[in-house]
Amino acid sequence: MPLVDLPMPDPGRPDLRGPLPFLRWLGRSQRRGQLLATLWAVLETGCQAALPAALGLGIQSAVDHWAAGVWRAAALALGLAVLQSVGGVNCHRQAVWNWITAAAQTRQLVARQASRLGAGLSRRIATGELVAVSSGDVEKIGWYVELMARVRAAVLVWLGVSVVVLVRQPLLGLVVLLGVPVLAVSVWPLLGPFERRYDEQRALGGKAGELAADTVAGLRVLRGIGGEELFLARYREASQQVRGAAVRSARIWSLMQAQQVLLPGLFVIGVTWYGAELALSGRIGVGELVAVYGATAFLAAPLRVLGEAAHAWSVARVSAGRAVRVLALSRLEEPAGPAGDQGRLPGAGVPETGPAAADGAELPEADSADLYDPVTGLTVRAGRLTAVVCGDPDVAGALAARLGGHVPLAEGEQPEPAARLGGVPLDTAPLAAARAAVLVHDKEPALLSGTLAALLDVPASGRVAVPEAMAAAQAEDVLEALVEGSPECGGDALLATVTERGRSLSGGQRQRLALARSLFADPPVLVLDEPTSAVDAHTEARVAAGLRGLRAGRTTVVLATSPLLLDQADVVALVQEGRVAATGTHCELLHTHPHYRAVVTREDDHPSLQEAS
Amino acid sequence: MKPPAQQERGPATMLPVGSPAAVRRYVRLLARRHRRGFGAVVVLHSVSTLAGLVGPWLLGGLVERIGAGGPVRLLPAVGWYAAALAVQSAFMGWSRLRGSILGEEVLADLREDFLVRSVALPPGVLERAGTGDLVSRGTTDIDRLAKSVREAVPELAVALVSVVLVLGALLVTSPLLALTSVLGVPLLLVTSRWYFRRAPQSYRAEGAGYAAVNTVLAETVDAGRTVEALRLGGQRVRLTDRKIAEWVAWERYTMWLRTVWFPSVDATYAIAVLATLTVGGLAAVHGRLSIGQLTAGVLYAQALVHPVDLILRWYDELQIGQASLARLVGVQEVTAPETDERARPQGREVTAEEVSFGYREGADVLHAISLAVAPGSRVALVGPSGAGKSTLGRLLAGIYAPRKGSVTLGGAALSRMPAERVRAEVALVNQEHHVFVGTLRDNLRLARATAGDTELHDALAAVDATAWVAALPAGLDTEVGSGGTALTPPQAQQLALARLVLADPHTLVLDEATSLLDPRAARQLERSLARVLAGRTVIAIAHRLHTAHDADVIAVVERGRISEYGSHPELVAAAGPYAALWRSWRDE
Repeated sequence: MPLVDLPMPDPGRPDLRGPLPFLRWLGRSQRRGQLLATLWAVLETGCQAALPAALGLGIQSAVDHWAAGVWRAAALALGLAVLQSVGGVNCHRQAVWNWITAAAQTRQLVARQASRLGAGLSRRIATGELVAVSSGDVEKIGWYVELMARVRAAVLVWLGVSVVVLVRQPLLGLVVLLGVPVLAVSVWPLLGPFERRYDEQRALGGKAGELAADTVAGLRVLRGIGGEELFLARYREASQQVRGAAVRSARIWSLMQAQQVLLPGLFVIGVTWYGAELALSGRIGVGELVAVYGATAFLAAPLRVLGEAAHAWSVARVSAGRAVRVLALSRLEEPAGPAGDQGRLPGAGVPETGPAAADGAELPEADSADLYDPVTGLTVRAGRLTAVVCGDPDVAGALAARLGGHVPLAEGEQPEPAARLGGVPLDTAPLAAARAAVLVHDKEPALLSGTLAALLDVPASGRVAVPEAMAAAQAEDVLEALVEGSPECGGDALLATVTERGRSLSGGQRQRLALARSLFADPPVLVLDEPTSAVDAHTEARVAAGLRGLRAGRTTVVLATSPLLLDQADVVALVQEGRVAATGTHCELLHTHPHYRAVVTREDDHPSLQEAS
Repeated sequence: MKPPAQQERGPATMLPVGSPAAVRRYVRLLARRHRRGFGAVVVLHSVSTLAGLVGPWLLGGLVERIGAGGPVRLLPAVGWYAAALAVQSAFMGWSRLRGSILGEEVLADLREDFLVRSVALPPGVLERAGTGDLVSRGTTDIDRLAKSVREAVPELAVALVSVVLVLGALLVTSPLLALTSVLGVPLLLVTSRWYFRRAPQSYRAEGAGYAAVNTVLAETVDAGRTVEALRLGGQRVRLTDRKIAEWVAWERYTMWLRTVWFPSVDATYAIAVLATLTVGGLAAVHGRLSIGQLTAGVLYAQALVHPVDLILRWYDELQIGQASLARLVGVQEVTAPETDERARPQGREVTAEEVSFGYREGADVLHAISLAVAPGSRVALVGPSGAGKSTLGRLLAGIYAPRKGSVTLGGAALSRMPAERVRAEVALVNQEHHVFVGTLRDNLRLARATAGDTELHDALAAVDATAWVAALPAGLDTEVGSGGTALTPPQAQQLALARLVLADPHTLVLDEATSLLDPRAARQLERSLARVLAGRTVIAIAHRLHTAHDADVIAVVERGRISEYGSHPELVAAAGPYAALWRSWRDE
């Protein structure tokens, strides 16, 4: 049977009214897979249930000294075994695929949601929660969705066998009909206490794991300063606590194991006893007695899936709830015309990266439009390199974000007036158009892992070549470091790997690589917030010159306090108490404005090496 | 079906992976430590399995006598059966409990041994290899092993015992039926060999593929601002879909492996039961086997299915566990650099003489550098990125050993001293300001285990941290680090400085200690730092020129060599590159 192709071209629009509607929606979107899994499972368990009958037939034939009967029973058993195997392997395939389908579909939905929320995401939800949905939760969701097919099959087989036995031996049939479900759920009373202890064990285990990870992560500090013994002792204690908790939960678990032998065993004894009485009175043959024994010994197994289902529901409900919460989030932002509504439809498509698709205000030609921030009164002239000096880094960060428009808000936060590009408020333009016009390079731009080529695969004007951008940002030594760190690239820097968050690089190297990327993108308006804060003075001076050269004739804003950068700007604006207090060249301001001089040269207080000596 | 193309490998690990011989040695060590527990599990489970064999045997007798039409008393048989069942279930529970206790003890040993080995790693190795790989060994590999040790090892041991005992019972019942029930084994061996040669690495790839989807997603989320600013949303979605496709391809491949293997396992079981039924049935027809033997034999043959299933199911889990164990044991194989107990410093002067150093053969980063740092003086290392300032700093702090030349402290080679002695003299202060999970007190006392609260408060006062510490909910007992009260980066850095005050080394190497902080915080920190530096020898790798300005001596490092050397006024007077930079910075 062909399995559905994954990932789906479109994961669809989920039903987000609650956990159960969401799970049902997932089940509905794989209806064919569910049906097939049920049928295959019925075939498998049905044959399994019938096999003891064939064995009984063979033994009966042996009792009757009927060789042909033995052969016939063997042929029947062979047929059943083949069918069972076919059913089993197909059921396994289909069930696993159903699981994968539900998991992949949910992950696709989450990925689309993450891209759609973009910058708004971290303001609305702990990032861990979203990743948790994609890692742990989809497993549980998939498990529940997949399990439903097997539950249906188990119930069908149990009813079928009961009916067959009822017709032949009403009393025995009744016992099977009622006894089997009782056996299947008999483990439930222990399940609660077990799960509580298991949760405790897991919590302690998580803590010990965290402690180990934390100790190892800080190992350089420990080896450099000391304290290894202190931390080892702490970890030993945590580890022994985990052991204690695990043994406590194992006590209940072993009780469950014993019970799962004892209760079905008693059931088998009871049924076999009754069957033996029947056989003694000659109402059934000994072969049938063996069949009864075999069938009852087997029957409780498929119905255990009911217990599994109860468990699956209890965990899948939580997971599905979290998935629904994550998928129902919207980008919180003051609605500004139709563009603001674009993000509110659950399951809406990927944000367009090309020219604005949605309606909204039309932005003027970004190359030749001035940018104005009503909050500080800052005006950025088109085609010039403007530097902004701001004593408070938070104010600077907020200013940078405003200059890009569409600032995502946290719950309850009040929006500030939007920056205007050529007189048009950026917030009224579609998000994609605003981002295409103004690129805000924040204090800590992320480096996405992958090859350098992938890192530089960003929408770009095409006017700046990669080597030019690298040279301007003084990132050539970063290339060397990358090549050195990834032997698999064969010397080609573009194939070298950048590890997650660029961890293999130093802070200064990360900053320069990120700057090179923004320079390569070459947006009409580029806003840089402290782009060289972690770069040494020698290099910073060269970056400043490179930046000026590469952005000649383009609109650029640099928020910085380093004289080496400010010196290169066409115009410098000083922001004091939230408003532009002075503008001029770096040189002018340095000699006319004492506050400016204090901020950029740190003359007022530079306690450093000297003070100590 | 061919396995999907391997996805790109992660960066090569710098820490070794244990050799098979080392893993075997370690397993033998564990086995010796836990000999008694293991023996108990085997004995208890054997009793349980033997009791479980009573039922089919009784039924066989019953069937025989009923078939023969003789008088049968059911009650004693039922009584025996029930008694055997009681023994079976009781011993089953008991053996499982002992198995779990054993597993947990082994597991605790494993994780504690690992940490003991990790904290003994030489600082130079940690500096080079980073801690990421070590963290993943300490978390992911420990978790994987937990599954093996908790489940796979006991289940396998128990299943093996069952198989042996059931086969024994079959032999006792009828050698002929014992033979028929193992007829399918050659088939099982051939197909399982095929399967297990492919399965472990495929499941690892599948697991890695599953995790890769999350990595991409986590990055998309983390980098939300950047993704939006650079309009990468669509690209990230496509990347996730591609990662999902890669993961699903592995799922499809492993599923195909099972599609081949499962039916062959089924066939093995079917062969056992069918052959036993047919051969035994015909033998019984001809009177060479009693009905009782036949019944018990057929039921025993069926009873083999479950334990064999368990063996097959847990076998690859065990292989995965073995790979994880190799990674844990590998940490042991890091060779510590030779140290010399007699290397004791006579004085405090740090001297580098003709030092050359490179991370790789034939690619030196530093070339014949000589530098003498007088006790109590302040040296600033400045220069462009990648010039080798940080590497030089690490050599002077004794973290790396020079390839050529020597770095000495008070006349003794730093690299020959044990790490514990070096750190009493020299400390490296970098941007890394790890706050450990635990109380603030734990975080401070690691620097001096014997320190009382007064000393701790004094140290905090020395770095200007008294105010915010007093404002914490529980003072020194406040839980900090991940999950606890979050400290701001400047607070974390002050904490690191307070540790230095407690550890009290006479020489400090500062590597851009405050460069990642915003200027306001940096200024406040520099005040704290200044107090810590008082009276110590300081080698500062400086980003900002005002730090260099205040030093006694400035060494400009370029391309692995010292290009300019002297005090600030001397360098400015020399009108070299440093002077030019200074003028543009000061605009003078």
